[in-house]
Amino acid sequence: MLPLAIQLPEGLTPNLNLLLPEFIVAGTALGAILPELVLPAGKRAAATAWTCFVGLVVAFVVILAQGPTDQLAIQVLDGDTVISGLRMDAFSVFCRALVTGGGALLVLISMGFTRRMDRGHGEYYAILLFSLLGVMFVSGVSDLLSLFVCLELVTIMAYVLAAFRRNDLRSTEAGLKYLVLGAVSTAFLLLGIGLMYGWTGSLSLEVIGERVWAASAAGETIPGIMLLGTALVFTGLFFKVGGVPFHVWIPDVYEGAPTPVTAFLVTASKAAGVILLLRMAQALFLPAGPEYLEVTNPLAQQWVLILGVVAVVTLLFGVLSAIPQRGIKRMIAYSSIGHAGYLLMGVAAIAADGGKDANQGQYGTEALLYYLLAYFVTSVVAFGVIMVVGAASRRVAGGQHSDKAYDGLWSRSPFLAVAMCLSLLSLAGVPPMSGFFAKFMILRATVDKGLYVLAFIGAGAVVVSLYFYLLWIKSMYFKPAPEGAPKGDDFQIPATTKVVLYGGMVAMVLMGVWMTPFFDWAHEAASALATLAN
Amino acid sequence: MNPLLLIMLIPAAATVALFFIDSDAKKAIRAVSTVATGLVLLISIFMFIGFADADSTWTATSKVEGGTVDHAYKYGFEADWVKEMGLAFRLGVDGMGLAMVLLTALIIFAGVMVSYTVQKRVKEYYICLLALVTGVFGVFVSLDLFFYYFFYELAVIPMYLLIGIWGSTTKTVDQNYATMKLVLLLSAGAVVALVGLIAVWAEVGTFNMVLIEQHEFGKSFQMIWFPVIFLGFAALVPMWPLHSWSPAGHAAAPAAVSMLHAGVLMKLGAFGILRIACTYFPLAAVEYLPYLAILCCFNIVYGGLVAISQRDMKLIIGYSSSSHMGYVLLGIASMTLIGINGAVFLMFAHGVMTALTFALIGWFYDQTHTRMLDDLGGLMKVMPFAGTCFIIASMASAGLPGFANFASELMVIIGAWQNGADTSTPGWMIIPAILAIWGLVITGVYLLRAVKDAWFGEMPERWAKLKDQRSFGERAPFVLLTAVLLLFGFWPQPMIDVVEQGVKPLHARINDAKNQEKKAVELVVPETHPARDARAAGEER
Repeated sequence: MLPLAIQLPEGLTPNLNLLLPEFIVAGTALGAILPELVLPAGKRAAATAWTCFVGLVVAFVVILAQGPTDQLAIQVLDGDTVISGLRMDAFSVFCRALVTGGGALLVLISMGFTRRMDRGHGEYYAILLFSLLGVMFVSGVSDLLSLFVCLELVTIMAYVLAAFRRNDLRSTEAGLKYLVLGAVSTAFLLLGIGLMYGWTGSLSLEVIGERVWAASAAGETIPGIMLLGTALVFTGLFFKVGGVPFHVWIPDVYEGAPTPVTAFLVTASKAAGVILLLRMAQALFLPAGPEYLEVTNPLAQQWVLILGVVAVVTLLFGVLSAIPQRGIKRMIAYSSIGHAGYLLMGVAAIAADGGKDANQGQYGTEALLYYLLAYFVTSVVAFGVIMVVGAASRRVAGGQHSDKAYDGLWSRSPFLAVAMCLSLLSLAGVPPMSGFFAKFMILRATVDKGLYVLAFIGAGAVVVSLYFYLLWIKSMYFKPAPEGAPKGDDFQIPATTKVVLYGGMVAMVLMGVWMTPFFDWAHEAASALATLAN
Repeated sequence: MNPLLLIMLIPAAATVALFFIDSDAKKAIRAVSTVATGLVLLISIFMFIGFADADSTWTATSKVEGGTVDHAYKYGFEADWVKEMGLAFRLGVDGMGLAMVLLTALIIFAGVMVSYTVQKRVKEYYICLLALVTGVFGVFVSLDLFFYYFFYELAVIPMYLLIGIWGSTTKTVDQNYATMKLVLLLSAGAVVALVGLIAVWAEVGTFNMVLIEQHEFGKSFQMIWFPVIFLGFAALVPMWPLHSWSPAGHAAAPAAVSMLHAGVLMKLGAFGILRIACTYFPLAAVEYLPYLAILCCFNIVYGGLVAISQRDMKLIIGYSSSSHMGYVLLGIASMTLIGINGAVFLMFAHGVMTALTFALIGWFYDQTHTRMLDDLGGLMKVMPFAGTCFIIASMASAGLPGFANFASELMVIIGAWQNGADTSTPGWMIIPAILAIWGLVITGVYLLRAVKDAWFGEMPERWAKLKDQRSFGERAPFVLLTAVLLLFGFWPQPMIDVVEQGVKPLHARINDAKNQEKKAVELVVPETHPARDARAAGEER
């Protein structure tokens, strides 16, 4: 209980102790500005970064130590029904741990970038941490209003980050594009929330789900306004994860934003979208209680089709457009659209998973969580290398990221080449890397639900993506190094990046070979979401 | 320690160990690789010798008419992996798998020794080679569908680097093109099969291949998924018309990789067809395999004719390999015990023979930098040892008695003939058997011509300084492979005994499916059937 004499509204239990990790991250974010004020210019960057790293690691440990609980933070109940609050179940623990742990890695690889800035270290890390904080809140949302607010916290911070190199034309362009298109999607999202509220009379996901299933059980038709409402909300989320046709911002923003920010957009920001997709899918498409197991939900059936089509189009668009790209960040951008396609395949499998013999979206959810985990680590490694190579080519060769930056990297820096090669293979989904098991789980979820067309297209897209990832491996390993390209010590790999790359490589192989602990963790988190449905 | 676990762990451990050896210490790198593969070969030989007496760890029992058939897997090993998902790291071999394990061990050992001539990026070369062979062993010994696929795909990617970095671009083939084509087509086949494998899991609810074998799949399920899984693996065999990656890949690859590729990788496909497609889906196999008998004629005849028109030695042997894999497919398609036995035996014999040939081509290509028949000639004068080995390998390939290839091809043709002559099959089924016999003549044409043009006749001046294999170390891999060919040529029984242990249960299942179908047909056919009666009367006479 708060030691303040505030009259709390009836039914509200704050449970603020559950939010300790969030308080730590928020406190660190505010504290990150302090070194800027007190330390001499040379020491600011490192001090700020290490403060944030420690803060995130402490939050990570606290999250794991607290463990899952049935209680909600800032819980508002109406009888047994959750009206509002942040869930702290195993699913939420998984996502928050992913974000804080991964965020700590992002801070580590950012150090090479902020070291070269003459000012603004405090802002960069504070904004990054607030955005991560937003993803932490997103993990627990149980109503549409907090969904909106938490997502905006992530997104608005990301606008600023994308435009962070304000003297750089492309960075500014990236920020502006992101802002304008993001604002449009926000409008969609808000309108969708309004429409859903209009039909159900509630913002609580639990109540909305109950209403949809009750209507299905009673044989009522679900009005078009509800379908439109869900469609608009999903549009907002497709925008976050990069589902076609809401992907147009991705290539330019990913390319223009500073590289560590791109890493953040690919990983944590995308994770926010996926987490919300999972929460929405669980609430709307999975039976709201055991009494609905025999009921067919027309909304879920429509959405299997919509999600399936969007997934296929996203997947094919992403992998096919990645082929001709000559800049590595643009290639990663398009390939990340392809990965969004796989993630949406998993969501489609969840939507198809109502009914008597089903397992409440268990396969799909655990596949998506494992995918997020594997993708997070893999992307951080890839961007770690991209940052080092990009900085070195600018410094030594004076050129931007040209298409030659990776030619013959094998002979110039075997370490960077191996790290990049492994992460590209993991992104392609080749054993024994983590990405393989993630894709395997997605295919398993879709085949289990009989979505064979999706499965075959998803499997075929693996081959296409193998092609363009191998093109990069080819230029790293088969081509001769261009003259004047940085080599050996020219790369000046920061020690922190080195640690992240070594750790990341081990983790990628480990997650692909000894997947048991990671799978069990994702499984447990997915079960939490699945039991919510009953 | 479990021998199968050892043959997986030793190459894997050697791969990791190589990462930590300095890349300039070429001798140490070669020594580690040689010792590791040598150990694996020894273990495989001991397993082969002790196979008949070894206890069976798992037995898959399947019902057939009038009783049950037991399929024993020996040298089993099991470790829980992802329990919640039902994955287990489960190893075990039947006779079929063991023959392939022995083949792989022989070829990788010879391949490592042949690769002593590689001078460029030695460390990475052996890392890729050992990673590749770990995957190959994994496929032959895994008894868990997930790991089966895992290792299958694991074997493909190192190929990309091996051909792309250490391969050669010649007038006839571009290595970048060849390696990309190979990897993409193999992966395409693999992912198609993967969807099928997951569908099998969704139907049975387990990844345990022993349990899946005992499951009786419904006919319609079999009819849908047999082609999917079959085509996925057939791309690797390679079955015509999915074969085009193979000759180009051979031609661009360095010697040891061609050896592994033709010797072992292609066998992964045929092994998958037997182990997964035909074993799980016998009812569908009976329906579809006659079509395979047609397709494999294209392999045999078309592959052979294309080989005749080639002038690049590696392309000749490359097309000859897809021609020979046609015999393997024919043996499978015959659905007779002797035919399938012959097919597996041929997989072994062809693997050894073709590895020997590629090793020899690699030997002189390293010095001449050309493989075109028009540039070569009279090499016998400067390298009599290599030439003798090449002639032996060619004779084996052409099916000369005294070699394992003769014994196995004869079995395949007898099997195909039996099947064709069987009254229950359509009459045209005899045609593939006849074409297969003529295929041997075609083989003779292109091989004898290659021998004549490369090894005999006028020798261009510039080849006068070529080196033959002189030292024991240089000759050892060639002698080893030649000896194996001769050993199983004159004394095929031990190999056939081992192979038959794995083939018999499979054949019993297919035969049972055939009988079921025959019965179903007889129910429809009226009592009196003029044509059949006439044929039966003819038989009695």
